[in-house]
Order: sequence, then structure tokens, then C-alpha cells
Amino acid sequence: MSDRRGGRFRLPIGLVAVAALTALALLTTGSALGGSSQSCGTVTINEQSWAGSTANTYVAKYVLEKKLGCKVKITNITEGPPYFQAMRDGKIDVALEDWDNTLTKAGRTYIKDKSVRVVGSNGITGVIGWYIPRYLLKQYPQFKTWKGLKGKETVFKSPESGSQGMFLGGDPSYVQKDRALIKELGLNLKHVVAGAEPAQVARWSQLYKQKKPVLFYWYDPQYLNAQFDLVRVQLPKRFTGCLDDEKDPGKHACEYPSYGLDKLVSGKFATSGSPAVNFVKKWKWTSADQNFVANLIAGKKLKAEKAAEAWVKANSAKVNAWLK
Amino acid sequence: MASVVAETIAPARVVVHRPWWRGKLVRVAGIVALMYLAYRVWGVSLDENGQEVSRFPWPNDLVWNALSLHLDDFQVWLLTERGKEDEGLVFTVFEAFSTSIDRSVDWFTRLLNWMTWIGVTVAGVALVLRFGGLRPALITLFAFSSFALAGLWEECMQTLALMLVAVGLSLLVGIPLGIAAGRSRRVSRAITPVLDAMQIVPAFAYLIPVVILFSIGPAAAVVSTLIYAIPPAIRITALGIRGVPVNTVEAAMSMGSTRGQLLRKVQLPLARRLILLGVNQTILFALSMVVIAGLIGGGGLGAIVTTGIYSNPALAILAGLVIVVMAMTLDRATEAMADRTDPARRHLDDSRKRSIRLLTVGAGVAVVLAIGLSKIFEVASAYPDEARGSTVTLEEWLLAKIQIFLDYVQDPFSFAFSITQPTGTFIFQQLLQPLQAFLVDTPWFVTILGLTAIAFVVSGLRPALTTLLMLAMIGYTGVWALAMDTLSQVLVAAAIAAVIGVTLGVLAAESNGFSKAMRPVNDVLQTLPQLVYLIPFIYLVQVSVVPGIVAGALYAFPVTVRLVERGVRDVSPSSVEAARAFGASRLQTLVKVKLPLAGDAVMLGVNQAIIMVLAVVVIGGLVGSGGLGYEVAQGLVRGQFGQGVIASLAILALGIALDRVTQGTRRARKEILT
Repeated sequence: MSDRRGGRFRLPIGLVAVAALTALALLTTGSALGGSSQSCGTVTINEQSWAGSTANTYVAKYVLEKKLGCKVKITNITEGPPYFQAMRDGKIDVALEDWDNTLTKAGRTYIKDKSVRVVGSNGITGVIGWYIPRYLLKQYPQFKTWKGLKGKETVFKSPESGSQGMFLGGDPSYVQKDRALIKELGLNLKHVVAGAEPAQVARWSQLYKQKKPVLFYWYDPQYLNAQFDLVRVQLPKRFTGCLDDEKDPGKHACEYPSYGLDKLVSGKFATSGSPAVNFVKKWKWTSADQNFVANLIAGKKLKAEKAAEAWVKANSAKVNAWLK
Repeated sequence: MASVVAETIAPARVVVHRPWWRGKLVRVAGIVALMYLAYRVWGVSLDENGQEVSRFPWPNDLVWNALSLHLDDFQVWLLTERGKEDEGLVFTVFEAFSTSIDRSVDWFTRLLNWMTWIGVTVAGVALVLRFGGLRPALITLFAFSSFALAGLWEECMQTLALMLVAVGLSLLVGIPLGIAAGRSRRVSRAITPVLDAMQIVPAFAYLIPVVILFSIGPAAAVVSTLIYAIPPAIRITALGIRGVPVNTVEAAMSMGSTRGQLLRKVQLPLARRLILLGVNQTILFALSMVVIAGLIGGGGLGAIVTTGIYSNPALAILAGLVIVVMAMTLDRATEAMADRTDPARRHLDDSRKRSIRLLTVGAGVAVVLAIGLSKIFEVASAYPDEARGSTVTLEEWLLAKIQIFLDYVQDPFSFAFSITQPTGTFIFQQLLQPLQAFLVDTPWFVTILGLTAIAFVVSGLRPALTTLLMLAMIGYTGVWALAMDTLSQVLVAAAIAAVIGVTLGVLAAESNGFSKAMRPVNDVLQTLPQLVYLIPFIYLVQVSVVPGIVAGALYAFPVTVRLVERGVRDVSPSSVEAARAFGASRLQTLVKVKLPLAGDAVMLGVNQAIIMVLAVVVIGGLVGSGGLGYEVAQGLVRGQFGQGVIASLAILALGIALDRVTQGTRRARKEILT
């Protein structure tokens, strides 16, 4: 007898079914199961990683759905080239808070061919800088400006920084030039990368709770600024020719610029004639508004939809101005 | 006939009592000692500010500085080509491909939604019950209930749809290629390096090109998943085909089978178990990409994790746990289905056949009824968020529990913190920092020669040449110091993984109960997204490099456990009996007989641990490990294509070099893998 197992080769039916379904799905055009459409149609808004962006997105979603009858889809695509490309391909219609990604080399390509368009400021001015907890000023009032840090850097010592003080860098996706600043200002600080924002927050907030010294890259608007009392260290004033990209050779020893945060729409969406286009153009609010909503979501753990609803109900005047 | 006999006897050959690495360790230690001497003598010098700097860093003249710019230009070129009105043939093909994938994912998502949550649950459970049996069916029921009660039903269905397409395509490509590789040595030799590369290159590295070519969305997510999930499908299928006994094949040939008949009637049926194991592994590998897929428009659970860690960590952890439940259920269900449908294990009499037919009909009717009824009563496609009547949903209760855990972790005055913090600092200051200083500051030519010499001693001439080439490439692309930094982290993580893995592996081999208990632990560690458990770790260990190392070690040690367990269990019973007959105790048998005989498997376990650690190096970059991982992460998110690609290639080169250094001689490796 040859091997009893030598029968027919049989794959389990489930596997065959999956393969068959895949093939079927590849062939059908996908409209068979029906989709719904309304007068305004579907608007896709991209939500970025930081909590402020979640606030933007869900407030806009609430108003678009409740007042304009649009259907809103939310995507979560990284800022920079990934989301520009998605706009060009028509996968994203709107992004409500761009921190000058349109000025980068790759960004300019998309602006030039009009696949991405800037439609004004979202009303918020973004600030980036070096921050310390306010309690430190009691012992070291001189830390208000960078000059006060000189000679006192070892206050910020940590296991990684050796004999130097530690400067805690920002999320790798954010704009930063701190290595160049430290070097050009001649400070005895070691730039330590903390990783993505939650990792960086984990690091400095633990030190804050223990009332220990810490110096780090941070920004505003940010909902945590309502929970932690932080102070921005004054860096040298901006001067002409001062650069903000670490990779460009030249001088960087000035404070970060203030960022007028822009709303972006895709070229396709801009010319679509949807009533949502006008809404996005008019859309505008303040840091305080955004921090309020972001704190409800990330601080108080409210569902994003509920937080948006609460803000919209309390601010009908602002909302009506977007709808004119 | 003589050759047939020789072939069949070969696997049972008497085990060589001197493991290949004996004696080599002494020589390796000698080389390391020489390198250390060079480090002490020429390592550092003081610069004008009195800071210590490396005396012989990689010389700037030997760096191709323009490479990064060329790569950036290439990216811009790709973008403009892709944006043109009449794009070329290549891009049209990519476009068509990505549209059809997008559509099939969309189609599946809508199908699952159309079936409603009741229909999907009944269908899933019925399918597993019919082909897998009662226990896996209950597990499936539990899984679907947890998707619903965690309030993540919609996201789960999106992820499931994405996985169906990704796994379907992986198998469509992987199994035929695996069969080809199993039948022809030449094919196998040609694709092995490609498969190695696909698994070592961090997914972050190819996200930018994938996004440019396939656009954001399900298609890009599926393609990234394919790159990672195809290799196991190919490898294990090939292993199965090759494992078919040579005499069986020759017997079939001598009876006049054609090659096609041979494949269909002999090789495939005999390789069935391994091929199905490949299917199972492909599913698990695909699921480990869910989070990465979330970054580029895959949506579903992955997106919840990636945004949740910023704004709602408790929700991110919940989504991570749901991913684990999904992975373990798919694993158990497919495994049970493969087992139960194995023709070799089924001996059906007529009454059994009748009851199975009844079950089939019953399951079918249940599915139709469930979908029909839920359509008639207009059940929502997803499980409703607000459970009527009760004030607190299970989701809220779970989130509150997770939050309590997070609050505890974030308290710098807790008991746990008082242990973890000093431990972390110890690992950093006593292990990592000295090793890092040694690797970064040792003159570059000494390091290159030293590592090449070790590769030569351990693995032979060709691996040594490969190592030399890879290290030279790392230096030439200008990331030598970063790569040495990463290398030090990889070595520490791999060492921790090896210590844990070997210990647990030996325990698992000695005790069946322990082995069973280890399985869910291994599964959780390999499927829980690292980002999810890393964030609590950063609160507990306030040294930025350590959490990344912990993540690497936790991800890598399960593989070592499996290999070591298998190695120790496979030690020939006659050797063990002989030892026992001489009156050796259980411990003596283990230490003096089993472990030395399983030495090769232990070394392979270490080798695999290193490769696995490298796979998660980029995740470490996201939580402050610096080195190459940070470069890749930043390159992706800030759109610095050149920087990202160079660092990714360096990780790949480092991976190949480390693999060659630790792989052992070709013969030793072949003995374990086949």
C-alpha cells in the first residue's frame, strides 16, 4: 500500500472561499452594495495626530453634518508628503491645520501643480519654543531667558546627558532646530530625542510631578498647557537671514517663527462646487476655542463627537459666521 | 537505490558530540579583547572644549555625501511623473492595481456591514464550528462579542476586510512561489536574499515609496502588509515541499508520474500540514502590520492606535487588546480547521458522515436566517454604541479600568516606579552606555576588521566577506556612528531576549504544562502593537533608550523560546536514557547532555533574536532610542526621503551583517532548519 494520505489535495473550504471572494471583489466594480449620497456629498477631512487637530476635525464634522447635510469621512494620515499625495489622489478633501508643510521642498511641488491649495488661516497662531515648568523660576528666576541658562545647564542633568544638562527634543514629525540652537548659542546641553509626542510628554510630565527641573521642546496651542503651568524661555530675537531648518547651512540662533496655521483643500475639492468649500474657507476659531475642545477630548476623555457638540451649542454666533 | 537509502538514513545520523561553536568562543573572545585594547588605546581624545570625542570616527572623505540629495531629487521626480496628466505606462499599471485593491477592500467592508453585526457573528461562528469544532467556535463567539462590547465593531470590520484582501493576495503569490522554491534549488537560492531583505527592512522605510506609487488608502496598506506577510507563506510552503521524503518522490517517478502529477498527488498532499501552517503564520504576520497600515490610510483598529496614543491612550490600549484577540482567534481557528480537515486524520464512518452533513446544512440555515432576520428587523450594521437601559457600557467600564492602570503608571511616587526606575538606569548606565561608547569610539577600521574576523571564525569565509561589504556600505553612506549606536542597543536587547528565551525555552521543554502556559504569552507579545505597551514603560522608566530595548527584547524572546524548546526536545532519547542509566539526575542530564546537544538550536535562537530586535528598531526610534530608528521615523514623517532611505538601508545592512556573524557554518544551520 502506498501512503494512505496520498489522496486528493484539499484545501479547507474557507480558504477557497476567501480566494474566490477576493477574485470576485477584484472583478466587481463595487457599486453592487449601494452607497448613500446627499446634496452636499461626502467630505473627507484629515485628522492629524495632535489633540488640537482632533478638536478641529470633529467640530467641523459636527457642523457639516448637522447644518449642511454633508456626510463626513475622517482619515488619519501623517502630515507632510503623505497627506499631500492623498489630496492629489482625491483621498482627502480638507486638512484644517497645516504647520507650514507647504513651504518644504516636497510641499512646494504640490502647491505648484495646484493639487493642494491653501485657503487662509484657521485663526490660530502656532508657537514653538523651549519650555520649563513655572516652579523652576522661583529658584532660578534667570531661566526666563536663554542667557540665564548659561553656566547653569547642569541643573537639567539626567542619566543620558552625562556631565551636561538634558534638552528634551520634540516629536520627530514636528519642525525643530534645537541641535543647531544649542550649538550656536554655546550651551552645555545635550539634545536627547524623546521620540513621538506621547513619549516626550511621559518624560517631562513625570519630572514635573516630582517638581524636578526639565527643559524641553514644546508648543502652543496644546491642551496640556491647561493642566501644566509652563513658561517659554526667551530665545534671541529673530533677525534677517536666520534659518529654521537645521539641515540648511547658516545661522539658526533665533527663536522659532510664529506660525499662521493654514487650512488646506485639495484641488479637486476646491472646484467641486460643494457648499462645504465655502464653509471651509470661512472656518476660523481661536487657540482658546481649540484648547477647550481638545481638553474635553484628551483631558476629560469625552467622546470627540460629544465635545464638538458642547462647543458648537455654546458658540452659535461663531458657527453661524462660518455658514454665511 | 543506494542513494535513496543514504538520504533516508541521513536525518537519523548520530549527533556529533562536539557542537560546532565549541572552541570558537575562545577565539571570538580573543578578537573582542583585541578590539577593546584598541578602544582603550585609540578610542577617544579631547577636543578644544575639553569634551571627549572619537579619535578615529568614520573619515568624511569616505562618505558619499550627495547620496541623500540624489534620493530627494528622485522623490521629487517620482512625484512630478505621477502628477502628470498623461502618466506613463508604469504609473497607469500601479493606478489600476491600487484601484482594484481599494475596491475589493471597500467591497468586503460593505459586505460585512450589509450582513450586520449579528449576521457576521453567526457566519463566523458557524464556519468555525463546521470546520474547526466546538472549542474554536466558542473562542470565535467570544472574539466577536468582545469586538462589539468594546465599542470597536466598525473598526474591527474595516481591519478584517483589509486582512482578508492582504492575506488572500499573500497566499495567491506566496504559495505558488513557495512551491517553485521547494521544487527547485535554483529558485530557492535566488529568492532567499530577497525574502531576508523584505523581513529586515523596517516597514517605515518603504512607506514613502508605497504611498507615492499606490496613493494613501487601503491599497497602500495592503501592499505594505504584503511585503511583510509574503515571506513566511513562501518559506514554509517551500519547507513543506522539500520535506517530502525523497524515496516517496522517487517511487512516484518510477511509476511514471509526470511532474504535474507528482506535485498534485504526492508533494502537495504530503506538504499539506506545513502549507496550512504557512497560511496561519501569514495571517499572524499580516495582523502585526495593522498599526503600520493605520498610518497610511488603512483605517480600522490601526488608526485608533496611532491617533489614540496622542489623545486617548486608554482607547489605544483597548484597540491594541482587540487586535490581540483578533490575532489569537484567527490563529486558533485556522489551526483547528487545518487539523480537523486533514484527510490523514479523518476516518469517517457513515453515521459520522451523516452528522457532519447535518451540521453543514444547519450552519448554512443559521447564517441565512440570521442575515434574513436582521434585515427584516433592520438591525444596525455595527453593534450600537449606546446599550439601551444600562448607564455604563462595558466599553466605558473597560476604559475606566485601563485608565486606573495608566494613572498608577504615571504616578512617580508609586511602588512600581521605585523599582523600574533604578532598574532602567542600571541597564542604561552599566550595560548600554559602556557598550555604546566602545562601539562608537573604537577606531572604525578596527571595528570593521574585528567584526569581519568574528564572522570568519564563527561562520566561514563567504559570510565574513558579506559582513565586510555590509559594514563598508554603512560607513560609505555616512551613518557609521548612528549604526554603531543602534548596534549597541540591538546587542543589549538581544542579550536580554536570549537570556529570557533560553531560560524559558528550557523550562518549556522540560514541562508540558509550562509550555502550554507560554503559548498565549508568546502570542500576546508578538501581536500586541509595541506602541501600546511602550508608552506606559516610558512613564515607568525615565531613560529614553531603555523602553525601546525592552520592546525589542519582549518582541524577540518568544522566537528564542520556541527554537530552544524544540532543540532540547529533539535531543535523541537514547542519549538521555544513557545518561540516566549512569545515574545522572534530571538537572545533570539537562546541563551535561541536553543543553550541549541542543547547542545549535540555542545559537539559532540567539541569531533569530537579533533579527527580530532589528525589526522593531524603528519603533524604538519613536520612543526616544535615537540611532537609525529615529532617522527613519523622522525621514518618513517629515518627508526627508533621502535620510529615511539611507537609514533604512543601513538597518538592512546591519541586519545582514549580524546574521552572517551569528549564523554559524552552513552545515550547522542546515541541520536545524530541515
